[in-house]
Amino acid sequence: MSGAKKRNFQIEAFKHRVVVDPKYAEKTWKILEDAIHEIYNHNASGLSFEELYRNAYNMVLHKFGEKLYSGLVSTMTSHLKKIAKSIEAAQGAMFLEELNRNWTEHNKALQMIRDILMYMDRTFIPSTHKTPVHELGLNLWRDNIIHSSKIQTRLQDTLLELVQCERTGDVINRGLTRNITKMLMDLGPSVYQENFEKPFLDVSADFYRVESQQFIEHCDCGDYLKKAEKRLNEEIERVSHYLDARSEAKITSVVEKEMIESHMHRLVHMENSGLVSMIMDEKFEDLGRMYNLLLRVPNGLTIIKEVMTSHIRETGKDLVTDPERLKDPVNFVQELLDKKDRLDKIINLAFNNDKNFQNALNSSFEYFINLNPRSPEFISLFVDDKLRNGLKKDKEEDIETVLDKVMMLFRYLQEKDVFEKYYKQHLAKRLLSGKTSSDDAERSLIVKLKTECGYQFTSKLEGMFTDMKTSQDTMHGFYDAMGAEIADCPTLSVQVLTTGSWPTQSSSTCNLPPEILGVCDKFKTYYLGTHTGRRLTWQTNMGTAVLGATFGNVQKELGVSTYQMCILMLFNHSDRLSYKEIEQATEIPPSDLKRCLQSLACVKGKNVLRKDPMSKDIAEDDAFYFNDKFTTKLYRVKIGTVVAQKESEPEKQETRQRVEEDRKPQIEAAIVRIMKSRRVLDHNNIVTEVTKQLQSRFLPNPVVIKKRIESLIEREFLERDKTDRKLYRYLA
Amino acid sequence: MNKLGRGQRDKVQQLISITGASEKVAIQALKSSDWQLEGAFDIFYSQPQIKSFADTRHLEELYNRYKDPYADMIMADGITILCSDLQVDPQDIVMLVVSWHMKAATMCEFSKQEFVGGLQSLGIDSLEKLRERIPFMRSELKDEQKFREIYNFAFGWAKEKGQKSLALDTAIGMWQLLFAERQWPLVDHWCQFLQARHNKAISRDTWSQLLEFARTVDPTLSNYDPEGAWPYLIDEFVDYLTENGIFEKGKLSEWSYKH
Repeated sequence: MSGAKKRNFQIEAFKHRVVVDPKYAEKTWKILEDAIHEIYNHNASGLSFEELYRNAYNMVLHKFGEKLYSGLVSTMTSHLKKIAKSIEAAQGAMFLEELNRNWTEHNKALQMIRDILMYMDRTFIPSTHKTPVHELGLNLWRDNIIHSSKIQTRLQDTLLELVQCERTGDVINRGLTRNITKMLMDLGPSVYQENFEKPFLDVSADFYRVESQQFIEHCDCGDYLKKAEKRLNEEIERVSHYLDARSEAKITSVVEKEMIESHMHRLVHMENSGLVSMIMDEKFEDLGRMYNLLLRVPNGLTIIKEVMTSHIRETGKDLVTDPERLKDPVNFVQELLDKKDRLDKIINLAFNNDKNFQNALNSSFEYFINLNPRSPEFISLFVDDKLRNGLKKDKEEDIETVLDKVMMLFRYLQEKDVFEKYYKQHLAKRLLSGKTSSDDAERSLIVKLKTECGYQFTSKLEGMFTDMKTSQDTMHGFYDAMGAEIADCPTLSVQVLTTGSWPTQSSSTCNLPPEILGVCDKFKTYYLGTHTGRRLTWQTNMGTAVLGATFGNVQKELGVSTYQMCILMLFNHSDRLSYKEIEQATEIPPSDLKRCLQSLACVKGKNVLRKDPMSKDIAEDDAFYFNDKFTTKLYRVKIGTVVAQKESEPEKQETRQRVEEDRKPQIEAAIVRIMKSRRVLDHNNIVTEVTKQLQSRFLPNPVVIKKRIESLIEREFLERDKTDRKLYRYLA
Repeated sequence: MNKLGRGQRDKVQQLISITGASEKVAIQALKSSDWQLEGAFDIFYSQPQIKSFADTRHLEELYNRYKDPYADMIMADGITILCSDLQVDPQDIVMLVVSWHMKAATMCEFSKQEFVGGLQSLGIDSLEKLRERIPFMRSELKDEQKFREIYNFAFGWAKEKGQKSLALDTAIGMWQLLFAERQWPLVDHWCQFLQARHNKAISRDTWSQLLEFARTVDPTLSNYDPEGAWPYLIDEFVDYLTENGIFEKGKLSEWSYKH
């Protein structure tokens, strides 16, 4: 110690007594070795933790860590070998019990040993990169017990046998099994996988392959699916009870593959019990099950969707091309609505409202509804029937719901402009004959159409309603102004129709009876007085009249059309008239005239005229008499009604032609619009764009588009490009 | 002229005498054509109007010879005389070429401006010169570009004044004439098709597109493209041909008159 001014205190490390005893390590190790033996022999209670710890500590400190470690390894190993023997010796069910018991004890021992050797665990082992004590213990167990040749296979087989038993309905010791599998997991996921999981999956695959083959031969689709579902649930339960959670996804995918994926085509297509039968019989539960099971496998839902789609298309096609069903349009549409309802319900209840299925349904309906070119007409007739007659009292739905459903069908139509034409015709008839059961319902439908198709679609329809209202006001004004003058004349009710809004009718000749003519002329004068510059034409083919008639001495009222009125009034002046005379006097066109005469003379219960001869057909030299012997229970008899009917063939052709004519300017307008904004465009793109623009109304025919383009070229709206003949140019 | 060789000088003289061009222009033309007389003609005639005033009087006389007694136009009769003077059949297609050069508005008549101005622009001031030019004009039909111009010109020329479309009979006649010059195997089928199915006038677009069709689509229709934006009449023609079994494995079968 040097004598410096400042004295620094130096604290020296406490030095242990240097051990020079060469046998020190041996002796210390012996102590520890014995301790380990005791621990394994369940005699740990007599040991002093502190002493053992100190011994271990000292060994490490004096650089005998290596000896300690290797000693530990060999001691543990020899114990484990003994344990292995005892496990191997176990018989039958005791095998797993022994294994489990020894495992539990080994863990306890290991913990104690680890505690004792803690110092080594924390210092020597990390610095020498050796396996820590606990892990070492597990590895040794693995190597000596699990991988022991006599145990490894037996363990695997035993476990698999247990599973098999349970699958065939026996009860097993789940708790024990759980412990074993947990042991394997503790030893490391790869141990679990190699020794149990992988063989388990393989064996399960085989099992289910065989079982599913049996089922499929003997069960129908519904039953099979029930069985498959049951097995699936069982496996999930199995995992939760005694397997590692991560096995769930793997085993379920095995079941899915073997039971579902391998057989799904056969199941879905199964005759009399597959998807199609389930749909037709509305087996919601079975369908739901099928959906949920096939959801799990790739392309499972695709198959369901495809089969469902082709079924809908086929049955739909049958529906719309069946001549029997087409005889009654209203029923036909009702069937379409019912079909849609049924399918909606299935998708809703069984298919989880899956959007893909909704879309498939929609596209299928769109496909087959448009196969029948009369669909637009029939849907309009259906609507006409509902708006005219209201709904049957026993139906739960209200008119709004029905109209909404009809709108769904309307959306499927490709030729919406055809629907528009018919709807207009039918609406006109309803309005003019005053046959609407609910004004609100009418307007509601117009609003729905407007929302769907835009203002253009419905502006004329609304015009028709306006005309009706305005006419009412006009009549009030007329009677207010002229009331006194026309008090003796027949009561007149006039609807003034704006030409553009109402369906075009060709006006025909008809001579009104003088009694009527007078008041009609007065109306005309009155109207034109307040509305100069307008032209009025009587539409005699659309009007109605109520006549008072006396048969014998019984008073009756007859509701007739204007034509019929003209004919009947003639009989005020003669009892007998020939066809020719009637024709001359009324100047009604022959085809209409014949139809009217038939309705007046040839229909039982409405024969206010008598015809000679009594045949059904009207011939040129027939004679007609007023039938004063006519009787009926009713006071007012309706003879002429202007009901909307399915069109006859020639009428249908005419309507179709008019629709085609109407389409031409629309196509041209679309072409001009497009070319104006694009300036230059090639042919195919024009066709695509035009189709896109018009698709909300109808599907334009590419040939027609081409013709319109040529017409526009000729009228110098467009020209062909000089170098590329497929290109068109807009001429400003 | 001094710098030219004897042969070249000869050619220049020839060119001048035939075309009536100035020396300078003649030399220019010959130089550009590498001293080939044929080529020089071509070059010369494809040049814009070359007026030479001395010739106007000549042309006026010529005009008066053919002019109609009652109108200031050359009408059908006058044209007949002109044709006989030229030793050319009035139906000869070369008359169409002449009309084209003259930018005549309508067939069977020439206005004074068209006649005189047209001949002037061609550098022709006499009947002989016109007669001499006829073979050359015939050869112009062989030129692809010129044929197209003449073909398209024919539409406006052949149709009635004030009409937008060409009457079917006239169109058929014109087609027969034109496609005799430029072989198109389907011309007869085309005309038959029109008479059987169409029976209406022909639009300008259809007219001009038909030439393109004849030029680009081969007679067996092997390269016909339905998406090719052809006028619908041509599409219908193709349908007509297929319907009537004209085509069997890419070969034109015999046309049996059975439609």
